[in-house]
Amino acid sequence: MTDETLDTIMLVDDELMVVRSLEGFLTLETPYRIVSYCSPIEALEAAATEASLRLVVADFMMPEMDGVSFLKEMRRVQPEATRLLLTGYADKENAIRAINEAGLYYYLEKPWDNEHFKLVVRNGVERSSLFNELSSRVSALESAHAELSGFREKLVKAFL
Amino acid sequence: MLRRELAEVKARELGARAELVRSAQLATLGHLVRGVAHEINTPLGALASNQDTTRRALDKLQQILDDEVVTPDELVEVRRIVHAVTAVQETNLMAVDRMKHVVKSLRNFGRPDRSEIDRVDLTEAIRDTLDLLKHELGSGVTVQSDFGALPLVECYAQQVNQVFMNLMMNAAHAMGEQGTLTIHAHSLGDSVEIRVSDTGHGISSEHLEQLFEPGFTTKGKRVGMGLGLAICREILDRHAGEITVTSEVGVGTTFTLRLPLALPVGEPVAAFDQTKP
Repeated sequence: MTDETLDTIMLVDDELMVVRSLEGFLTLETPYRIVSYCSPIEALEAAATEASLRLVVADFMMPEMDGVSFLKEMRRVQPEATRLLLTGYADKENAIRAINEAGLYYYLEKPWDNEHFKLVVRNGVERSSLFNELSSRVSALESAHAELSGFREKLVKAFL
Repeated sequence: MLRRELAEVKARELGARAELVRSAQLATLGHLVRGVAHEINTPLGALASNQDTTRRALDKLQQILDDEVVTPDELVEVRRIVHAVTAVQETNLMAVDRMKHVVKSLRNFGRPDRSEIDRVDLTEAIRDTLDLLKHELGSGVTVQSDFGALPLVECYAQQVNQVFMNLMMNAAHAMGEQGTLTIHAHSLGDSVEIRVSDTGHGISSEHLEQLFEPGFTTKGKRVGMGLGLAICREILDRHAGEITVTSEVGVGTTFTLRLPLALPVGEPVAAFDQTKP
């Protein structure tokens, strides 16, 4: 449960009952490691040191910081983690703001449906893992490219 | 002849006034309904999710039991299931407590009989009103309360709650997303004083003079009907109390209420029944 290399989901809501319910459900139904916070500020601090953060679920209305600002900041701290907004306010304006400013992947309304939530979480984790893999492949390609360039330079020098 | 005409004019005026009061009460009811819906939405969502989680957990346990032999791996799975169910079980208790609290606040707020006189703990009434209205406050608004020991106040509780609700709604609208709502309540011997202050946009001195007149509003047609403060003053008048306001543009507004501990002697109960013209 505490293996930090496991794909990790972060839940952030100032309502303890919401994070605990989501945590209980995801613990039962998914293989992921779940970390929960009632304070978005604490969540941001913790996110900086998370090694396998794949997805972040945030409430919209929180006293310390609204969900869109939080996810916007999270995008900076963990750019590859998928971002979900969970809200009791079906508000088109905020949804658009969240999509544009925080690069939101999905906008869920409270009360949520567990099965739908699980599906969105799984797809979100997969998306983040693919991004992660893509980044690793790009890095590997870049090093290979650099190495090849080095060889080419050496070859050119050797023959000229 | 003249007397009959005067009586008719007076009756029409009373009818129109009762209609205005009813409109303001409907607006109050609208805020209350929204508040309750919002307050119940979170615990209801948690309970619905937990019910589903518990059913899934039972299905998983049943599958393990169906094999009749429990393997060490399955034992690990059982522990995981118990961990999940324990988390949602705790949440159920929180959700039920929250809903109980909402119902209690609502009961205290909406006394069934409008003409019922109560001896009321006003600090509790203010807290209940705040609980029902907190969703109207912007996400960056903080609430500070400073309540001294208050004696019980003889009043028409629902009407006084309506005053608190109007003042808090006005403060919420004046502040928008950011600000501080401060509520002071203290005893003045034979009366109590309650101050509701906001750090909103404030009211200009020319508007302050018209503030308690029926129909006056700066919020635009969609927000209110401009009846709130006129009704507040009427309710305070009927309790032999008073409502005053101070404000500074760009700094904020403070409403001060003074309510005597006892209702005026000989005040006919019917005069307080807002449903009757």
